[in-house]
Amino acid sequence: MAEFLHYFPQALTFTNLLTLVLGVIGGLVLGATPGLSPTMAVALLVPFTFHMDPATGLILLGAVYTATVAGGAISAILINIPGAPANIATLLDGHPMAQQGKSQTALYYCFISSLIGGLFGMLVMILFTPPLAKIALKFGPSEMFWIAIFGISVMAGLSSGSILKGLLGGMFGLLISTIGYSPLLGSPRFVYHDVLTGGVAIVPALIGLFAIPQVFALVESLGSKLERPDFEPEKGVLFKTIAENLKMVKSLGIGSIVGSVIGIIPGAGGQVAGLIAYDQAKKFSKKPESFGTGNPEGVVAAESANNAMVGPSLIPLLTLSIPGSPTAAVLLGGLLIHGLFPGPDLFISHASVTYTFIASLVLAQIAMCIFGIILSRYSYMVMSVPNLFMIAAVTVLAVYGTYSVQNSFDDVIVMFSLGTLMYIGRKFGFSPAPVVLGIILGPIAEDNYLKGKLIADTDVGVLSYFFTGSMNIIIILLCIASIGYSVYGEIRAYRKAKEAAA
Amino acid sequence: MKKDIIVSLVLLAGVISLYLSLGFMDDPRAANFPKVIIIIMGVLSALLLLQSLFLKRPKNSEGAGFPFGRFFICFFMIILYFIFMEALGFYLSAFLFFIAVTFILGSADLTARKAVMRVAIGFVFTGILFLLFKVLLAVQTPKGLLL
Repeated sequence: MAEFLHYFPQALTFTNLLTLVLGVIGGLVLGATPGLSPTMAVALLVPFTFHMDPATGLILLGAVYTATVAGGAISAILINIPGAPANIATLLDGHPMAQQGKSQTALYYCFISSLIGGLFGMLVMILFTPPLAKIALKFGPSEMFWIAIFGISVMAGLSSGSILKGLLGGMFGLLISTIGYSPLLGSPRFVYHDVLTGGVAIVPALIGLFAIPQVFALVESLGSKLERPDFEPEKGVLFKTIAENLKMVKSLGIGSIVGSVIGIIPGAGGQVAGLIAYDQAKKFSKKPESFGTGNPEGVVAAESANNAMVGPSLIPLLTLSIPGSPTAAVLLGGLLIHGLFPGPDLFISHASVTYTFIASLVLAQIAMCIFGIILSRYSYMVMSVPNLFMIAAVTVLAVYGTYSVQNSFDDVIVMFSLGTLMYIGRKFGFSPAPVVLGIILGPIAEDNYLKGKLIADTDVGVLSYFFTGSMNIIIILLCIASIGYSVYGEIRAYRKAKEAAA
Repeated sequence: MKKDIIVSLVLLAGVISLYLSLGFMDDPRAANFPKVIIIIMGVLSALLLLQSLFLKRPKNSEGAGFPFGRFFICFFMIILYFIFMEALGFYLSAFLFFIAVTFILGSADLTARKAVMRVAIGFVFTGILFLLFKVLLAVQTPKGLLL
């Protein structure tokens, strides 16, 4: 906490504040735009931060991450389409409120509760991250190897409909990370063309895997009409809504606590947080039957939960390289291109950048609420942007962002090839998040595997080195539990679908 | 599910060819880590094949038909954009790509007024990119003939 307060003023410089405000406004607009996912928005921005000071670049990414989660509620409330998976629970009561002519009130509830939940989540993050980083300091190559595998296993389980496809995606990512020259032996691997000589860099992979499939998905949706936004301006409701919102202590408390706990669990994400918080708020409500018909408490619980998740989802990311959500996985790519490797070193050697980034996330929550309230009056306009312009703009930005990092046209080819492959993969039920994580965590896994093997060969042997020791066993059990939980979830979903079909 | 059977067979074929290609590596020790990954991928692909053969899932309702025409038009426009990018320069090719996409993919509802608006939006979009990245951040891009 002392370090956080020490570095807090660095987030308040003119450049950093301007970047933060622009990031928040941009994030709100991108989050509200149907068809553009927050993960893709952050992925597209990663290369542009390359030309910035690391702290400023990370502030931009953090601000966009924070604001897109809240911005996604705008389309959920106005046109019944969640801007992000995290906003699924928001539409259950948010859209009925809009249909009753209370769209502006619903948006105010959304931004105010997002602020309260978000600040609670940040407090959890500030208190828990440094102690966890100290534990990570004790990790050797074997533990780091298993941590990388754990990261892939959690992402594989939650981002795909099928655990097998998720794991296959993660393994494919690991395989892509081996393209190029072997780190220890300098020997070429899978270099079938000159374009692949330097391996697959993170930025082209991030942009290709997230942006190009989205471009093709937008092409598919051309011609289909979206629901007309239910928006009617209301006068003098802001202060009344703030007062009402603050009275909803139970929903706010449930949302903030559920969001924070779910956020810390790697891979669980805002979608789960919002739905669990909504369900709990309904169970604890005196009028559970009013949920789903436009009860503001539903909006408050869901939105406080998904923003409370933002800060804690960065705890495993910053300490162990395990992202809490697909967007956090992209944020990990942003850290890596600035030469910042998650772990204890981040809080020692790069303390200035890290704590400035954390401080900016607190400020981003406040800015998100203020600008969200201001923009909510005009938010319906965002829904009217035709997909045609999105297709052209996203493609140009994807090409530009990829090229600008290394001034390499080869990267553009890699980006587009991976993107097209991912688009086809999506048609067969594969998700980009495990692939990205495989590419990011691949070098960590291989490097630590080789280091561990060298140590093991001179000591106790490979099996004994990697499979014994309390920390190794705990992480291996976590991997098994994570895959086991996903298999259980899949069996349950299969049974439900079978029952529904019968 | 037919789709999963096709995917698992394609994956198995890919995994086998990748495994065989490991034998051609200059230093066999460099193949150790990829070999482990490929074996795991093979096992997972085989499990997917077994799952799709023996675990019949309830059919999901499929959406509307796939718009092959629009997809391939967009795909080839992007390829052409790449080809012309180095010759024409980043900003000019981006502007032309923007216009081409909005005119060709949006030809169904194209009117004179909309055409002017699309050109104007393309110009403003490219102009913002130019101002922000060329003038303010001085980021290097392919120069080509003009910009």
